[in-house]
Amino acid sequence: MTDGAVLHIEVAGIGFQNPVLTASGTCGYGLDMAELIDLNRLGGVCTKGLSARPMRGNAPWRIVETHGGMLNAIGLQNIGARAFIEDKLPRLRRYNTRIIPNVFGYTVDEYIEAVRILEDGDGIHGYELNISCPNVKAGGESFANDAHQAAEVTEAVKNATRRPVMVKLSPNVTDIAAIARAVESAGADALSLVNTAVGMSIDVETRRPRLANITGGLSGPAIKPIAVRCVFQVARAVKIPLVGIGGIATTEDALEFIIAGASAVQVGTASFYDPQAAMKIVDGLEAYCLRKGLDSIRDLVGAVRLDQDL
Amino acid sequence: MRRFNFRAYRVPGTNFPAAELDYGLLADRLRGDRLLIDAIAIVERNQLNQSASGRRYGELRLKMTNRVEVRPGQFAMLKPHADFEPLLRRAMAYYRCEDLADGLRVEFIYQILGRGTQSLSRLRPGDMVDLLGPLGNTYDTQPARGRRALLVAGGVGSAALYMLAENLRSEGVETRLFIGGASAGDLPGVDRFEELLGAENVICATIDGTRGTEGFVTEPLQDHLRSIEARGPIIYACGPDPMLHRVAQIAEKSETTTQLSLESPMACGFGICVGCAVAIKSDCPEGFVYGKVCTDGPVFRSEDLYWAE
Repeated sequence: MTDGAVLHIEVAGIGFQNPVLTASGTCGYGLDMAELIDLNRLGGVCTKGLSARPMRGNAPWRIVETHGGMLNAIGLQNIGARAFIEDKLPRLRRYNTRIIPNVFGYTVDEYIEAVRILEDGDGIHGYELNISCPNVKAGGESFANDAHQAAEVTEAVKNATRRPVMVKLSPNVTDIAAIARAVESAGADALSLVNTAVGMSIDVETRRPRLANITGGLSGPAIKPIAVRCVFQVARAVKIPLVGIGGIATTEDALEFIIAGASAVQVGTASFYDPQAAMKIVDGLEAYCLRKGLDSIRDLVGAVRLDQDL
Repeated sequence: MRRFNFRAYRVPGTNFPAAELDYGLLADRLRGDRLLIDAIAIVERNQLNQSASGRRYGELRLKMTNRVEVRPGQFAMLKPHADFEPLLRRAMAYYRCEDLADGLRVEFIYQILGRGTQSLSRLRPGDMVDLLGPLGNTYDTQPARGRRALLVAGGVGSAALYMLAENLRSEGVETRLFIGGASAGDLPGVDRFEELLGAENVICATIDGTRGTEGFVTEPLQDHLRSIEARGPIIYACGPDPMLHRVAQIAEKSETTTQLSLESPMACGFGICVGCAVAIKSDCPEGFVYGKVCTDGPVFRSEDLYWAE
């Protein structure tokens, strides 16, 4: 079985050999995964979040396993955009896969600064914006929680680059469709959803939070139904393509997101406990298309069957 | 570049009886001169013990069809195969390894604490285990040449020191173990260490005084360091953080070269989750940066670690 054209898909003007990407924060800078999987068979890599300057990250404990998932508060530790294009990108671009740096900042200017540094790098296919960071110049509320701020940072980054921009939405909002529409209007080429859900865990013996940061992001299969619902809702609100994220560990998980409206998916936490998860999903999607007699996975995007009009 | 043939081995789903499953190599990759494998191992034995202090331990023996070189101090990520819960594999130091004609036998010692180790404790002979390893670095035995080696173990930390003890012995390094635990039954592998090193070279300390001296293991270590002269020994230690911190303090005072093997919660074990942060001394204004226990360690030189007060 080879990766045939049946899995080829275009998202935001980027052609992917298959719709399976690794999610930001769960594949390092791509190269870390190359020790365990063949990156040439992967649709794309969304790197660990990059900022204009390196970040040291949070004090430990940074992770705790919960039922069906895990909480993390890594604190966006990263080597910085400059080190990425100098030390990582030259080796990463030798692989036949799409490279999508994930970018964040704590002000609009910091996003632009990071993107401007990355503009010097060859072989980058597009950017993914992590807008779940607090906007320190606007009261510290997350960009992702406010349609106006989400749109503002999207527009600013779009003006700073000609590369496609995918904006990563947070599930920690009342109306994700409203945020999606605002980001689409601001010029986003695609949306990826969802980022982690904010959670908390307490050690009842010590009565202390299990994470040094008190709260953290919940990921893994536990959040999958929330993520599928978000994709379903947003698919009905916008015209730009969606990339589904949230607890995807198996082929069936990936198919759920695609049928709900995602053109591609990102595999995240599953790579921690099964480094082959993304590869297995690539094989599984192809097998599903063959079994269902589909010419292209595109025919499945948003093909959910509903008995009632919404 | 090598083509990975893991698809030939990986059997999707869980309905395949072990006999039909070509368990073994799924994906391998040369990491420099090291081979890392993601394999399915078969349980040969899983012996559970409970100590007088109420602590429970498991000694897990696995067989795999791959022959891969494991170095002292390295670890594997383990999880019962195809179990959904708990989700994440657990990091375990290799305790002993034995080359077989048709593969490798590996052993681990674990204390049964949370959901991960509880799930390991339910494994029975013939069961399958997902095993990713060997991971991490190894002890540097170069500085031990021409010196004596002092091994310091706290509880199940002893497991990470056994293969090192074997290597040091075979290199002709005079080796002594200080091992501590709550009670006489909380000194995992102590009998085997006595066999290897001689009983006179194994010094025990227990909190309740049921074996060896009463109190922490760092006390007889300190007494020993005071009693010796000439060229200082080298210390290798693995155990709970407070013990390691104390060993680091003692080592600094006596100017003894020390390598510490750290433990940390990890989601992946191969560097991508960045969960296992450890503070490493640095010239930056804060005085430290965060490294990763899994790929920068688990063995660190004591003087490189930044201990928060």
